[in-house]
Amino acid sequence: MTCREAIDVLADYVDGTMPADLAAELERHLAGCDPCRAYLATYRTTRALVSAAAAVEMPDEMKTRLRRFLAAQQRR
Amino acid sequence: MSVEDRDLLARATAGEAGALETLMTRYSARVYRLAYGITRNAADAEEVVQDVFLQIVNKGGGFEGRAALSSWIYRITTNVSLNKRRGKHRELETSLDELLPTYLPDGHRAGERAFLVADWSGTPESELLSGESRRILEAAIDRLPEHYRAVLVLKDVDELSSDEVAEIVGDSVAAVKTRLHRARMALREQLTRRLGAGA
Ligand SMILES: [Zn+2]
Repeated sequence: MTCREAIDVLADYVDGTMPADLAAELERHLAGCDPCRAYLATYRTTRALVSAAAAVEMPDEMKTRLRRFLAAQQRR
Repeated sequence: MSVEDRDLLARATAGEAGALETLMTRYSARVYRLAYGITRNAADAEEVVQDVFLQIVNKGGGFEGRAALSSWIYRITTNVSLNKRRGKHRELETSLDELLPTYLPDGHRAGERAFLVADWSGTPESELLSGESRRILEAAIDRLPEHYRAVLVLKDVDELSSDEVAEIVGDSVAAVKTRLHRARMALREQLTRRLGAGA
């Protein structure tokens, strides 16, 4: 497995949707490749940061406005 | 879709306030999060939420019931959000190609070794999510094409499967997986360019 092939399949590996034999082959590559290990570590952290940063809350006042908006619509 | 969902939707469509309230409690936060994720603007996201719930109330009777109610609501949200974005802020979107890894003919990555092995993942997440690195991350998310952001939110925040996301965005599973991977790589690259040297 080359670095290109390793990076191509990282999404399935990180998401846990990779077949075990391919995962084992990837792990053999990672064991001997510093750049790919760094890539995987930062890729995985990027994913965690996106999950946290994009988990925005709907403001309460917006929920109030939505209720009011829909109540007005339903009365029409 | 479950009998309960179908019943709930029918009652909301018929104008029953309690049913609509239940739908709002269950889905408004998720709708807002996806709408904000795609539009990246709170005012736009609020308009999307209102529009989506209006469609639920008005068109709920026409819901086919083949997919889960949540998928149907996500699909409406994605469509309304993408429509809202149409023609806006195009100039912000950089070409992703410039942010993807490049390779030598033998399959090794091209670039300086110090950059290739830069690993900032040991920095505490709370630190990465504040200050300069947070600003870099948010700006990098802003620059992604909106179709990529839709997939990113559905996969990495709502944690749906690629199959579910494909159905919601109306694309193939392969296209969804490619977009997700490219989006993460583009964000990783921008973070590494700014944080890598100090790590
Ligand atoms: Zn490698």
